[in-house]
Amino acid sequence: MNTVMQSQAAIEAVGLNKQFRTPIVAEGKFAGIRSLFSRKYIVKEAVQDIGFTVEKGDFVGYIGPNGAGKSTTIKMLTGILHPSSGKVMLSGIDPHRDRTRCASRIGVVFGQRSQLWWDLPVKDSYDILAHMYGVADEDKRRRLAQFDELLSLGEFWETPVRKLSLGQRMRADIAAAMLHDPDLLFLDEPTIGLDVNAKRNIRSFLKTLNEEFGKTILLTTHDMDDIEQLCRRVMVIGGGRLTYDGTIEGLRREIGLPTEIKVTYRDGYRLPDAMTESSHMQIVSRSEDTLTVEVNRQEVRTMDALRQLGHWGEIDDVEMREPDFEEIIRRVYG
Amino acid sequence: MKMQTNPSTRIRTERRTVIRNYIRLYLLLIRTSVRSRMQYRFNFAFGTVLAAIIQLSEFLMVAIVLAKFGAVRGWSMYEVGYLFALMTLAKTLYRTFGNEVHNLERYLVEGELDQLLTKPLPVLLSLMPRGFRLMPGELLQSGAILTWAMGAMMRSGQITWWAIPQTLFAVFTGGLILFAIGMATAACGFWTTRISMLQNMTEDAAQTAARYPLTLYPGWMSGLMLTAIPVGLVSYVPALYILRGELGVWVFPLLAAASCLAVLLALAFWRFGISKYQSTGS
Amino acid sequence: MISFRSNTRLYLALASKAYARNIQYRSSHLLHNFASAAFGYLYACIWIGLGRDHSLGEYGTHGMMQYITFTQTSLWVASFTTVGLGIPQSVRTGQISLDLMRPVHLFPHLMAKEWGQIAYQFLYKSIPIYLVMLLALGLTPVDGGRTLPIALLALAGSAYMGICMGYMIGVSALWTTESSWLHWSNQALMNLLAGFFIPLQWLPVWLQQIAWASPYPFMLYAPTQFYLGKGNPLNLLGTLAWCIVLTICCLLLTRVMRRKVEVQGG
Repeated sequence: MNTVMQSQAAIEAVGLNKQFRTPIVAEGKFAGIRSLFSRKYIVKEAVQDIGFTVEKGDFVGYIGPNGAGKSTTIKMLTGILHPSSGKVMLSGIDPHRDRTRCASRIGVVFGQRSQLWWDLPVKDSYDILAHMYGVADEDKRRRLAQFDELLSLGEFWETPVRKLSLGQRMRADIAAAMLHDPDLLFLDEPTIGLDVNAKRNIRSFLKTLNEEFGKTILLTTHDMDDIEQLCRRVMVIGGGRLTYDGTIEGLRREIGLPTEIKVTYRDGYRLPDAMTESSHMQIVSRSEDTLTVEVNRQEVRTMDALRQLGHWGEIDDVEMREPDFEEIIRRVYG
Repeated sequence: MKMQTNPSTRIRTERRTVIRNYIRLYLLLIRTSVRSRMQYRFNFAFGTVLAAIIQLSEFLMVAIVLAKFGAVRGWSMYEVGYLFALMTLAKTLYRTFGNEVHNLERYLVEGELDQLLTKPLPVLLSLMPRGFRLMPGELLQSGAILTWAMGAMMRSGQITWWAIPQTLFAVFTGGLILFAIGMATAACGFWTTRISMLQNMTEDAAQTAARYPLTLYPGWMSGLMLTAIPVGLVSYVPALYILRGELGVWVFPLLAAASCLAVLLALAFWRFGISKYQSTGS
Repeated sequence: MISFRSNTRLYLALASKAYARNIQYRSSHLLHNFASAAFGYLYACIWIGLGRDHSLGEYGTHGMMQYITFTQTSLWVASFTTVGLGIPQSVRTGQISLDLMRPVHLFPHLMAKEWGQIAYQFLYKSIPIYLVMLLALGLTPVDGGRTLPIALLALAGSAYMGICMGYMIGVSALWTTESSWLHWSNQALMNLLAGFFIPLQWLPVWLQQIAWASPYPFMLYAPTQFYLGKGNPLNLLGTLAWCIVLTICCLLLTRVMRRKVEVQGG
């Protein structure tokens, strides 16, 4: 069946909304019995009017503070939760109307939970999953060999899943999600709780999947190194709404954090007397030959700032430092 | 001129492949779980022995009453033993394959159900292979009691060899009915999350009650056990015909229809529950 | 070895915390009571049905209704303790080595917690179930309730024994992953050997002998006999003896467990 697939976006979300209704727990006498029949609910807007498109081959980071609606969005995208309103299309398939067909084309990893069989050896889980997704034996062998090379699964091939370390389990879980060779991969906090080494492993695998195999990947994380090293695009969610969608550089700009410029003068420098009110520069620190200033680049062009710094003495060397990504995120999470 | 495959035929063949795949998946699961159970031989043997002790003490609770009083509302010791064994066998059948349906609460509380929803199978079908339970203790014990009870009744001429296939049929429909009750109970969990209390009533209490002839109970209670929670159809109704020749042969089509209907109703309820499912936020 | 006295305050605090933790859920537990009472009613129905064709010996139908009412009520004190007092859970998470490191002995620590649990269950489960069953079966308390004090005293002993058994089951989790099976078989034996459903004197002689060689009869049967006004107060000595024996077992087991945990590091 050759359906028209080429032109469709990997993920298309339009006007997603999700409300949760939790019954109000009654207080006082016979509370238990009354709350059984009570019709009162608290309505919580978990996600409001979220819409975006992810093209094939993209690598998107989805960030936001706890409780902002990240997981809810992922669950709606993957067909676990029905949106209260709005629409999702994954390569042209509706994951809610056509959940099972869609499920065989996507891979999903929840960092906090394993999809492997708890008390079976790792390889048995792959056998079962291969059958579940209808993966041919020879494909399964080929892919597992590939994953083994990239993730060294061989070390714990025969170990029951419950005895794996967190890092091993995550490697095994990601391989499991890729066993049926989906084109689209969702990862919910894949590096949570891992040590530096394990994180590096996972990241390089995801990078390979994206760059060499052309997989589209969407991940949520709290680790800004994940975003910085992997993602070409970031989406920020706050209070259930999409507050930013674009590149990391763009996010930097949007927040308007100052750039730090450190200037070394050849023969010292002399500050003008009345600099404080006129300048867009703020002096952060100073020593005999060096001066460190913060410049908001949305207000002053870098060349103008340097020209002004040049007026104060003969410049020997200039160092510029972009704002820390961590700092950006701190601002985003507010 | 090319032959065009009829789309409906194609869908049918596709569905057949899917079903065949699923059966292969299930068989694989059975093999792997048997193998992994065998790796922990001590634990397996230990669990089996304890399960047998539990079964035995449950049977003794019935047997002692029978030994003391001889008959229960006109049902002989062998007949009540038969009721007990039939119920246990049906329950074993249900729990061997449907144990994870019974354990749904754990999936709901720990958010594991989300994982199942990302699988390319209906939730029920991806839930059941999550666990396959070997129950040799229950099987042996109920098999032994059944052999003892039916052997004695055959010798006395109360029943003939015909009772054996009839009993097997009743075990099968009984297993289906218990599965349906278990599934409907579990589906309530999509709203309430906690279901163990409900299971206490619809599964444990109901199954315990149906080990005795229903005439023992007040009318409203036996009425409930034939309709809303149809455990009476698992052992009491088949025994009425197979052992005592009451009712009529129509009991078997009735059992078949009732068990299918129960499963279909439970399935519809289950589906409705899933559409209302609110995942626990993480 | 263990200084119970110096830690009295701590134990009280542990017990009251366990009690308070449960209080939050009391509304959902009310429904649980309904299920439990239904179970009791069901067992009573079996005896009522049997009583229609047979005489129920020294108890009579009425006596058996009282009997079942009291045993069903007592289950929540004597039998439905936390699985393995929570030890299997803490073995699984590795918490156990921390628990053993604390300056308080594990046994009285967990026991104090469990007493809080039992106190809660007595107030919010046993009593409502007792009342519901009396109403449903149209009974009044035996002897106007005059037998209740001594029955409850015996039942307190049952609770203590139940805690000890739960502790021993919990400790087994260090050696087997199937300790929940031990819990369930303990419950099953409780049903049979403690005379939950069938009074012990109706068991076959060999089974009676097995039963009386175990602590089970003192956990349900003896308190129920007191309740029915048939008990010999000397039976309380049996309860006391078993409490002592079980305590010693628990203390010895803790030592073995400590060694095991030290060797394998949790």
